[in-house]
Amino acid sequence: MSISTPGGPERRPTVVSTGKKPAAGRPAAGAKATGAKAGPSKSGSAQRAGGGKGPRKPITPVKVSQGRSWGPIALFVAVGVLAASIIGFGAWATFKGSQSWEDKAADIAGIVNYRETDPESLTYESHQSGKIEYKYSPPVGGAHNNAWQRCLGDVYDAPIASEHAVHSMEHGSVWLTYRPDLPAADVEKLASVIRGNDFMLMSPYEGLDAAVSLQAWGYQLKVDSADDPRIKEFATTLAQNASIEPGVPCSSGNYTTGTGTEPRELAPPTGG
Amino acid sequence: MSSAIQEAPPAERNGTELRRPSRTLRYLTLVMAAVLLLGVGWTAATLVADRAPGDESAEAGFARDMSRHHAQAVEMAMIAYAKGQDPAIRQMGYDMALTQQAQIGHMQRWLQEWELLPTGSRPAMEWMPDAVPVGQDGLMPGMATREEITRLHEAQGAEVDQLFVKLMINHHLGGVHMADGLLKVSDRAEVVRMAQAMKQTQQKEINELRRMAPAGG
Repeated sequence: MSISTPGGPERRPTVVSTGKKPAAGRPAAGAKATGAKAGPSKSGSAQRAGGGKGPRKPITPVKVSQGRSWGPIALFVAVGVLAASIIGFGAWATFKGSQSWEDKAADIAGIVNYRETDPESLTYESHQSGKIEYKYSPPVGGAHNNAWQRCLGDVYDAPIASEHAVHSMEHGSVWLTYRPDLPAADVEKLASVIRGNDFMLMSPYEGLDAAVSLQAWGYQLKVDSADDPRIKEFATTLAQNASIEPGVPCSSGNYTTGTGTEPRELAPPTGG
Repeated sequence: MSSAIQEAPPAERNGTELRRPSRTLRYLTLVMAAVLLLGVGWTAATLVADRAPGDESAEAGFARDMSRHHAQAVEMAMIAYAKGQDPAIRQMGYDMALTQQAQIGHMQRWLQEWELLPTGSRPAMEWMPDAVPVGQDGLMPGMATREEITRLHEAQGAEVDQLFVKLMINHHLGGVHMADGLLKVSDRAEVVRMAQAMKQTQQKEINELRRMAPAGG
């Protein structure tokens, strides 16, 4: 409403003024250009000066009225841009909130995605007993033992068999490994990320080439400090999401470190 | 916009009709304003009114924490199912393990629908109205310690039944307490329905467990 009201009174004289020009569109176009240069408010009054003389032709008003609409158009555009930005922000917020865990994972600096770079290393025929040679250290997927290592936020204080941990990762767990010589305070910091969180487990790992290495099925992140915020980011983003068997549990399975890194053959049904 | 304005003038025939463009503009403005208002309103409605529970909501906290609480119950119930001496204990173990594992699936599905991660960024149980502190061991109320679970794994015969009854009564008490906490603060239909069902089921099971082992309960 506020847009059309001021435009109303200005419009009439303008049309009249162009009416005295010959029917052609050229002069009118010139008038329009002047109006545009002068700005929305001035163009109206300038053209009004010539108003009230003679009858108008039907064609010319087309262009003149165009010239005089700059005010409303500017308002339209302003309101449109405002509305579009509000709607755009809503759409952006919705999109951002629905960012997939894969995208969130890809945003973690330094993460390696073996699902993309080396999917072959993650394939296997069936469960396998005994020791298994892994391409990466610590392993990030591939063949594994029949029994998984319990991953209900378990903090193991001694090394565990990779053959079980890889099975846990297949179930969607994040396996945090750390260099055995890390100070106890650092180990406790790491444990505070893992402890009590389902689909997470941690254990020391001999020969690790970084202070801390986090693994999920097909993903790995190595960091040099237990304080690195990416540790928690990796754990919360990938736990459970990285499962390739959705709905599978982390309960039961092996829960001791009694056999060290030697896999434990066919555990009893309850995982003992 | 400019094309719409160009269309208007050909309707003019005389002086009085010269106002038409302004009227058309007025209508156009009205229509545009209505469309924009609709757009803005729709956006606002999508953002606010129909919003799914957020990352720190009680509903999300409940879904995450109850999933974890359930996961331990599933482990205990599976031991009871596999090694319980009393057939009624084995039957109960089967029932609890399957029910609670399925409920974990429901709760995880909610988190997916709400576009939240399965793991929260806040401490467990922080969402509870009475702010239950979680111990250094990360265990929520009612949960068994690692040592207790290990003892249950290694128990034999009647000891399995006794230990299971004792641990599961505690576990269910914690579960009922958490469901109560959600019911106090949430009006989200599917979550409330689930919490009510859990509360009722677990209360009945507590009664049953107590009957099974009057000495141990």
